Amino acid sequence: MKQKGKGIGCMWYPIGFTVAANPSAATVKVNEDGTATLLTGTVETGQGSLTVLGQIAAEELGISTDDVHVVSADTDTTPMDTGAIASRTTYVTGNAIKLAAEKAKEILFEVAAPMLNVKPSQLEAVDRKVQVKGFPQRNLPISEVALQAQFVQGRPPIGSASFNPPTVDMDPETGQGKPFSTYVYATQIAEVEVDDETGQVDVLYMSAAHDCGTAINPMLVEGQIQGGISMGVGFALQEEMLFDEKGVQINPNLTNYIMPTSLDMPEIDVDIVENFDPTGPFGAKGVGEPTAVPTAAAICNAIFDAVGVRVTSLPATAEKVLKLIKEKRANENKQLAPAE
Amino acid sequence: MDVKLTINGEEKSASVPPETTLLRLLREEFNLTGAKIGCDVGDCGACTVIVDGIATNSCLMLAGQVQGRSIETIEGLANMDDYHPLQKNFEDLGSLQCGFCGPGIILSAKQLLDDNPDPNKEEIQDALAGNLCRCTGYTKIVEAVADAAREMRGNREAA
Repeated sequence: MKQKGKGIGCMWYPIGFTVAANPSAATVKVNEDGTATLLTGTVETGQGSLTVLGQIAAEELGISTDDVHVVSADTDTTPMDTGAIASRTTYVTGNAIKLAAEKAKEILFEVAAPMLNVKPSQLEAVDRKVQVKGFPQRNLPISEVALQAQFVQGRPPIGSASFNPPTVDMDPETGQGKPFSTYVYATQIAEVEVDDETGQVDVLYMSAAHDCGTAINPMLVEGQIQGGISMGVGFALQEEMLFDEKGVQINPNLTNYIMPTSLDMPEIDVDIVENFDPTGPFGAKGVGEPTAVPTAAAICNAIFDAVGVRVTSLPATAEKVLKLIKEKRANENKQLAPAE
Repeated sequence: MDVKLTINGEEKSASVPPETTLLRLLREEFNLTGAKIGCDVGDCGACTVIVDGIATNSCLMLAGQVQGRSIETIEGLANMDDYHPLQKNFEDLGSLQCGFCGPGIILSAKQLLDDNPDPNKEEIQDALAGNLCRCTGYTKIVEAVADAAREMRGNREAA
């Protein structure tokens, strides 16, 4: 008979390396047509980080994301970046880019201030314009300011900066330290159906609530969470590297290393829990790896809720779950037997 | 061995060794590199192309088997003016991440929509079951196929 159950998995996850340096550097230059060029060493692997990083530069400079030309991942030309790892790109690289864009913007403001008869601190960059705070009608197009900066003042508006998350190494005597600069949190709930005659587990539904700081691009955050859940479902139920006694992998291909297909995916509800982190770029933290962390735990808890067995090693294959169900029944029968 | 076939509506021919797969033929003779060499043994679906209306793993088909047949590849979907509705909806929803599975997934979806203009979610999931994706969890892919189907039905009614 198919038994339904629900389970919860919660997690926290750190952004960036544990104490070790993991800097990002960036250069932002504002061009005389009002567009900007962003140089970053980080790699786009499909998660959309270059879109998010372009959005961060654009937001800081008051221009459109379409105006930002992102040049990335070329050791000949781009500044150093630790890489698209440790769920760190939005937070660490994003902070470096925001700082670099701020420096370019400072030059624009210093050049624009005398043109608008105000102090640089009274200016803001909005809608492709440099304007006086509180008096938006007093403005100059960013293109005009950049042109003036470059060819009249001789100060090209360009900024370079780096960011390394501040951490504190562990004190060996007290055991105290600050291993990471920031953390993200998430809860996922799984609804499963377990066939108690075969041990087969189907994940019907997953609800995923994730804190990622400010979601700079909610569509991409959703994509990360849905992808992470598919990896979590594989981790929970299917994926296992099998080795023979000599240590040779016996399933080194996708015929028998089983991973989720479109048919294995549950219905997913994504809930982005927005939470401004003052240390992140525009309050953002990260979302990548954490998405796969609580899934297997939630599924195993749901299996327990459905059929009352605790799976303590992954994946929870049908064979393993059925064996546990049989052991449980045998134990129950033993207890029911009359005392001698 | 001489092979003559139609690719994206154009007649093509090539002379290749008999062990050449359709996938290698497309990529190496005709420079159509949209179909990807993933597992090369028919597990992953990254090499999917449409052969006479059927989405097929081109790594499992020999060039000799496509003699005189008609092949559709991802390169034939968009024209200079517009994307195919599937491509447009995949882009709008951010359905692909690394994109390696994309050409195969879009062609599997195209065969589905050619045969069944109004598929339900289960039918879409079933049609894509032979295409593995490690990044996306398939969620936005299935949504984009449903959106594209809706758009194509609308276009047909308007025409």
